[in-house]
Amino acid sequence: MLASCVIFNVRVMSDVLAVNAVHLTKTYGSLTAVNDIAVQVAQGEVYGVLGPNGAGKTTFLRMLFGLIRPDTGTLEVFGRSWQRHGVNSLSGVAGFIESPKFYPALSGRKNLRLLAGLDGGDAAACIDDVLDVVGLTDRQHDKVRGYSFGMRQRLGVASALLRSPRLLVLDEPANGLDPAGIRDMRALVRRLADTGLTVLLSSHDMGEVEQICDNVTIMKSGSVVHHGSIAALRELAPEQAHRITSTDDDRAAELTRARGLEVTVVDDGLAVRGPQKDVDALVADIVDAGIALRGLTRDETPLEALFFMLTESAPADPAAGVDISTGARR
Amino acid sequence: MTTTNAVLAGTPTACRRPGTAAVLRWEVAKLAAQARSRALLIGAVIVPIAIVLIFNTQLPPKDTIYGRNIHTSGYAVPLFVLAFAHQWVLPLLAALVAGDIFANEDQHGTWKTILTRSVSRTQVFWAKTLTAAGFNLLVLALLAASTITTSLLVVGTQRLPGLSGQLIPAGHALPLVIASWATAVAPVLGFTALAILLSVTTRNPTIGVAAPVVLGMIMQIVGSLGGLNKARRVLLTTPFETWHGLLTAHPFHAPIITGVIVSAAWLVVCLTLAYLYLRRRDITGG
Repeated sequence: MLASCVIFNVRVMSDVLAVNAVHLTKTYGSLTAVNDIAVQVAQGEVYGVLGPNGAGKTTFLRMLFGLIRPDTGTLEVFGRSWQRHGVNSLSGVAGFIESPKFYPALSGRKNLRLLAGLDGGDAAACIDDVLDVVGLTDRQHDKVRGYSFGMRQRLGVASALLRSPRLLVLDEPANGLDPAGIRDMRALVRRLADTGLTVLLSSHDMGEVEQICDNVTIMKSGSVVHHGSIAALRELAPEQAHRITSTDDDRAAELTRARGLEVTVVDDGLAVRGPQKDVDALVADIVDAGIALRGLTRDETPLEALFFMLTESAPADPAAGVDISTGARR
Repeated sequence: MTTTNAVLAGTPTACRRPGTAAVLRWEVAKLAAQARSRALLIGAVIVPIAIVLIFNTQLPPKDTIYGRNIHTSGYAVPLFVLAFAHQWVLPLLAALVAGDIFANEDQHGTWKTILTRSVSRTQVFWAKTLTAAGFNLLVLALLAASTITTSLLVVGTQRLPGLSGQLIPAGHALPLVIASWATAVAPVLGFTALAILLSVTTRNPTIGVAAPVVLGMIMQIVGSLGGLNKARRVLLTTPFETWHGLLTAHPFHAPIITGVIVSAAWLVVCLTLAYLYLRRRDITGG
């Protein structure tokens, strides 16, 4: 660990938003990839952009990095826009879009050294530190073509940290990782966020965003259908759903209704939604009624259920989006 | 993973933006790390040695310019090699790096890796263009030096027969041979620009490398057709033959000047189109 190496150049807060996108639209022929969206990310926050595949998350991030140009709207990063400041708007910004890519015939360290040459300053002196942060020190001399997907993701984070970013942009960082890789990546992002770094994270996994992010924008078909804090989102979410299977589902359904719980008969039993204590009491009712309980499992989490409700049923129209933002952070 | 919370600074991140020289160093370092580019440089030295040695043991090819003289004058051999090389070898050598240097980033999906680092497309374009041009000139210089040196050592420094039948003394022959090879600089740069254009627009390294060679061959066929004198002048292959004027009893340089102008026009047009395309394209995929 080299104390002279400044990897995390953060803790500098001001009223300037880390990201301020207004009326952003991008079309490809007849396809509207991003439709008049607005996203504001305050400095120091961990912000999630959530949506199913094809929602426009990556298109938005590409516009943020200047890889593609918006048709209309403005996008500022720390008060700088591509239109006025060009590539200087990327000062203090780092990250990767989709899966990070490197030169496969070169080692991880050699790739980082090349990128440090592009970053200038003391970036080259930070290579050991960033490799340590992402846990790739032992494999730094291996060629990237021999890296697993998870190792490439971590090398992507390392290459981003070389820039001493104030804003770290990660596009589906856990995508394609095994469960252990997902756990490690989430822990890494959380640790980075704890240093005060602003993190903008895209994902299609509500659980991931729930664990990592403070605030979230949910997109569907290029439009924003919801934005607000995770805490506010939890208040909107339905009760936890359970799946119950028994030897007499019809009778069990009657008992469920009698408890005042919401119940739907599905192929493999009953889908029951309601407060956890009422579900616990229902289980006792079923057993007391002499019905054998064959299975009791939790369905998607409440936030996942809300996510599916928003992205599968909400109209893809920004005006129709639900805004439960407290307004405090804007 | 112990460093995460270790270092926090209290000042805003300085505006870090590398100059074009830094981007050029990055591109050169990347090229130097490729085994293929090192092999090309080594090949540019070794292959001419092998060619000179092989032709020294064969019957002279009398149907090629200076072919009948390759056993009688060491100065004739590099001219014979030059006449042979311009048919497809020089366009190929010009395209091997230039046709790949942009498309390679598409192939690896690394455009977004580069362009998310405060580097402008203009900087990357010029770094890659200068690297490709510099590399191709280095290959041409090595090829010429190796061919001339080996020829003089193996065959000798006899007088060079001129294209008007005169005999050129050894002392004058060497500068003329070097000047003849130097006339290839302009069309090689023209083919470099053509390969860059194809590399940028097709995003396919194979097309970027192969298409300039095929186009060069088509230009030679078109150039050999009768009644197309005006069209022949603007072909990129024509400047490869302008050195003939240096070796006559009364040298003429107008074709060389025309060749330089034609090559420069190809270079400017191809690089302009490539630059505009790269500036405007959306970086997607990968």
